[in-house]
Amino acid sequence: MSAVTQPVSSRPILRATRCVLRVLIAALFLFAAVTKLFDPSSFAQQIANYQLTPWPATAALSVFLPALELCVGICLLLGRWESGALVWVAILLAIFSGALLSAIVRGLSIDCGCFGRSVENTGTLWPLIRNLALLAVTGFLWFSRKNK
Amino acid sequence: MTALRQAGLILLIALGLAGVTAAVHPKRPSFLAPPRDPNEVTLAETKQWAEKVLWVDARSASEFASGHVPDAVCLNFENWSEEFPKFLDLYTPGQRVVVYCSATSCQLSREIAAKLKASGVDGAYFLEGGWEAWKQQNRQ
Repeated sequence: MSAVTQPVSSRPILRATRCVLRVLIAALFLFAAVTKLFDPSSFAQQIANYQLTPWPATAALSVFLPALELCVGICLLLGRWESGALVWVAILLAIFSGALLSAIVRGLSIDCGCFGRSVENTGTLWPLIRNLALLAVTGFLWFSRKNK
Repeated sequence: MTALRQAGLILLIALGLAGVTAAVHPKRPSFLAPPRDPNEVTLAETKQWAEKVLWVDARSASEFASGHVPDAVCLNFENWSEEFPKFLDLYTPGQRVVVYCSATSCQLSREIAAKLKASGVDGAYFLEGGWEAWKQQNRQ
């Protein structure tokens, strides 16, 4: 099989790149999950700062989002159910980016809340740019899967 | 297993984990109403304080110019470097400082109060309802 027709996942350098990026996303999601799981009440307040959801939904999200991030991070780290995990990574990043964009448009001066209270004073613009970059990485991981 | 089936299973596990967190986590949020921030005060509470309150207006300079609490200082993220030294000239250590912004929906007062606390102003609070609440109660 020529190099041109070879699947991406069978080329050693791309396979290694793919592995590094998968672990990077896994580590980011695990870090985000653990920092939020330490104090869901505090994370709920950070979600409330976006003024997008009523309080009961905000409280539910403050326990659901870290749980989902944790599951996704573990799946990506272990390389199990990777396709399903990538679906959730893309959905979560799209939702987070939408929330950040709406905060920027409405002129809200709030903290991202992406990593609970462990990383503060990040604003909203840089986290949005980071999320879009991570979405591109997720796209690469999705389209370079071995078993599509 | 297809991607969607995997995603569904991940969702189910996450929902289970979220349920456990909501039930047993010592710092789980209340689902009925947001907890009151210990740094939030009502106008009625500020009126009960014996000593003079130092008011901080966290809104923009133009909003401040169109009306503000008497003797309030205009201090926000934009003018912090110029106005914070002036604020310190007026501030007496131990004095209570109450920050307000437009209304309940704005977060600036909360953030400026937190920044003041981080800068050593221990008695920094933010006003529930903001400028709108103050105007309503002082209309007569």
